[in-house]
Amino acid sequence: MFVDFFYMLRDSGIPASPTSFLRLHKALKIGLITGLNDFYTAARAILVKSERYFDIYDQVFAHFFHGAELPDFKAIDLDDAARTLLDEWLKDPQALADALGISREQMQSMSPEELIKYFLDRLKEQTEAHHGGSRWIGTGGTSPVGHSGVHPGGMRVGGRSMGKSAIKVALDRRYRDYSLEGPLTQAQMGEALKRLRRMVPVGPRDNLNIEETIEATTRNAGEIEIVFDRSLRDRLKIILMIDNGGWSMDPYVEVVQTLFNYARSQFKDLKTFFFHNTVYDFVWEDPPRRHKPQRVQDFTTWDPETRLIIVGDASMAPYELMATDGSIHIEERSGLPSIDRLNLLSELFHHCAWFNPTPLRLWPMTRTIGIVNNIFPMFELTLEGLDSAVTHLMSRN
Amino acid sequence: MGNQQTGPTFTGASQYVLDEELANIVNISMALEMPLLLKGEPGTGKTMLAHAITESLGMPLIVLNVKSSLKLVEALYQYDTLTRLNDSRFGDSSRDVSNIEDYIRMGKIGQAFVAEQKTVLLIDEIDKADTDFQDDMLDVLDQMEFDIIEIDKTVSARHRPVIVITSNAKKDLSDPFLGRCNFHHIAFPEPDMMRQIVRVHFPDLDNELLEVCVKTFYVMREFPGIEKKPATRELINWTRALRQDPDFRPKDLVQGKIPYLGILFKKSPDYQQAVQQIRRRRV
Repeated sequence: MFVDFFYMLRDSGIPASPTSFLRLHKALKIGLITGLNDFYTAARAILVKSERYFDIYDQVFAHFFHGAELPDFKAIDLDDAARTLLDEWLKDPQALADALGISREQMQSMSPEELIKYFLDRLKEQTEAHHGGSRWIGTGGTSPVGHSGVHPGGMRVGGRSMGKSAIKVALDRRYRDYSLEGPLTQAQMGEALKRLRRMVPVGPRDNLNIEETIEATTRNAGEIEIVFDRSLRDRLKIILMIDNGGWSMDPYVEVVQTLFNYARSQFKDLKTFFFHNTVYDFVWEDPPRRHKPQRVQDFTTWDPETRLIIVGDASMAPYELMATDGSIHIEERSGLPSIDRLNLLSELFHHCAWFNPTPLRLWPMTRTIGIVNNIFPMFELTLEGLDSAVTHLMSRN
Repeated sequence: MGNQQTGPTFTGASQYVLDEELANIVNISMALEMPLLLKGEPGTGKTMLAHAITESLGMPLIVLNVKSSLKLVEALYQYDTLTRLNDSRFGDSSRDVSNIEDYIRMGKIGQAFVAEQKTVLLIDEIDKADTDFQDDMLDVLDQMEFDIIEIDKTVSARHRPVIVITSNAKKDLSDPFLGRCNFHHIAFPEPDMMRQIVRVHFPDLDNELLEVCVKTFYVMREFPGIEKKPATRELINWTRALRQDPDFRPKDLVQGKIPYLGILFKKSPDYQQAVQQIRRRRV
């Protein structure tokens, strides 16, 4: 009974265990579950162990019991951002048709979803065959597809379900903002800050302070009094480097800056720098990247315990990363390829992390993402990615 | 204790407005004899639920407040070495120094096990402790017994306590731990529910004041960039303050003059942001 439902939950990504499934059956046997509403609540409490899966549970439940459409969790979402992108391109249909290598009539007969899928297939081929491959129509040399998975609707966490059928409740999708899909948005700032709060190294109160203990004991005329200390460690210093060139990073630059500025008080020191696409010889303290350069070579004098956090989509033409004159800005010519600079940074700062707003499943499509991933541990710019990154940055070695 | 079919069920308590969903989950957890893990925004009534359960079922409540430095053994029992040392040096107490058992005191979990009747055991804010504590506690709660090494005895639970665990979700709990509990996330109440909750706390509150307070509260929750949004607890304190203020009129809120912001926004950056937002809206 309900075995299909169980497997559907697992396929959609919810880690429900067989033991808990048996428990659900036990609950059914006892006779506690008297209707679909009860089943909705009971199954969720027994099978789903974190609110980040509640949204997916709602969708699967609505589909299984009501025939609501189930999003294909493995396929690529075509959402608002991708649609606007497509509309932009379609303003010049001939150019688009030429670029894709199909005739205009063929293109017009395809639906938007088919068009995007076709486009992505071509993309896959191109990045493997040509080595200059990431320049696309109207993208200015950066990431191939828009930001999928963004949930623009505001926070709508509701509680009371009295009188409402479970289907309606599930279709409501109350837990959307807790879901960990999609890159970081303004609405998730609170949740993101909670993750950053973990970046404070402080130990528990278990260090025996011998001097104080002896003094307290003598003050008590020999009655033993033990005094403990909290093992404190220094607060962290952070270097934040943000890729703020090109339009693809625009929505994230502000979010990331706000996030770290809010958390500023918990760090000993926070320095922010900007770069475009990748790091060459300089990074800049000012967003226009014109007035306050910082030589990358000079980072050798900085404290190696500083945590280095880089935010960028790591998507560019491979020559920008690998060639000695790779920079798309004519003024930067030092003879060292960017990849050497990145290697230098990762050696100088042991604890480093790279945040990429592109979804994980699209990373294999861009060659430079893979290359950068080999140098810096790369994380998605989502709540889940933030969690993992903080764990990584806080690890002792 | 009654067989599972007709055992005690939880239907809500006087000071706690119940969500039907939650009542179901509590009853199922009790029948399945599994701990219930509650997560949710701070201030949404997780701890109050445990109190409500004890009131409704007429069981005593034992609360274990988890601290970051808590070791499992402290929650189970304490071997009071200092008193023993003291007695052995001054030798004037009625306790028998050579018998260690006299110096063993039960910790909260131990108390729940040896209690004469079934109790409700609330383990509050378990995410504050480290994962070692959580995993070790798993075993104890599963077996419903633990050993006292010093006197070589095993303490078994006479009656299985009803276990409610709360977590503020600062750190993730380990998978084996999650697998052994039932889970519920207490969502933030909708305005209707919120009105009921405030009514329960202030039965004689003026309707107009209630309306305008709840409305303003939800508007303020939507302010961008707030780290700790005001929760139910803040609203109740705020309403209490407004009610007691003789100079306050509900019209003030409508016009955008919002007093006692400090009760709602507890962090300085949040407070400043709220003040800015209110100023902006007035203009």
